[in-house]
Amino acid sequence: MTSPPTSHVNMAAGLSSEDFTNLQLLLKAPSKDAVRDVCVQSYRAPSRRLAESTAATFSIPAAEAAQLIQSLHTLSHHILFYNLTSPEQILAVFPESFHSNLKNLITKILLENSSAWRTEALSHQVSLPQLKELDWRVDLVTGSDSVSRMALPTCLVQLKIEDPCPSAGGESISTVTVELSRESLDTILDGLGRIRDQLSVVAGK
Amino acid sequence: MLSIGQLVDMQWKLGMAVSSDTCRSLNSPFVSLLLKIVEPSGQICQRAFEMTIPQFQNFHRQFKEMAAVMETV
Repeated sequence: MTSPPTSHVNMAAGLSSEDFTNLQLLLKAPSKDAVRDVCVQSYRAPSRRLAESTAATFSIPAAEAAQLIQSLHTLSHHILFYNLTSPEQILAVFPESFHSNLKNLITKILLENSSAWRTEALSHQVSLPQLKELDWRVDLVTGSDSVSRMALPTCLVQLKIEDPCPSAGGESISTVTVELSRESLDTILDGLGRIRDQLSVVAGK
Repeated sequence: MLSIGQLVDMQWKLGMAVSSDTCRSLNSPFVSLLLKIVEPSGQICQRAFEMTIPQFQNFHRQFKEMAAVMETV
């Protein structure tokens, strides 16, 4: 007996010949739409529910359906990892002997979805906490406990920062508020201007 | 004079994400900022965060607007 599909590992695990054998189960699909559905849904972490519904649609045992889904999952993540974006690149992944029409259909479905998968993967990278929101308000301070009459502009800046993996018990979104004088604002602008200059250097390459 | 929190330092890094577990080839630039803030209690807190390039451009634009408004008051 083969071991059950392992837990979802979001890596380009190597495609094996066994995977392509499993993919031939797609020939049992009642329609092209059924193939499309299972291809798209198996991109996410393979679930028991998907295996059961696929088994029912394809009239195959649930264990076979689970293997099919795992292999489709491996295939779509392989396409994503290597950024295969042309039909020729994807077709080349299949063995020579693979059912020709099925190969074309799978390739077409993968191509339909690959750019959306890539966009999604890029926005869910491991990263430092990310800036989610920036709010600001400019005030004119007209008096204080030390000076009764003054006219000093200041700027309140509030940053909302989201940490995708907060430390135990911590909130994922935290807020930082700073008060900036005209001088510190100029210092920041100076720094940001340098980043912009560097960016245009990188873009110009 | 009383203040909420004073920014004392801003360090930055412009980087290029090259590869990850999901995408072998990324080539997407990002900006990291580290802010050092002195709280009213005197405690120094540091906050680091990351921005995509469009986010950075908006961030920069917002600060330019703040500076422009401060010139007028």
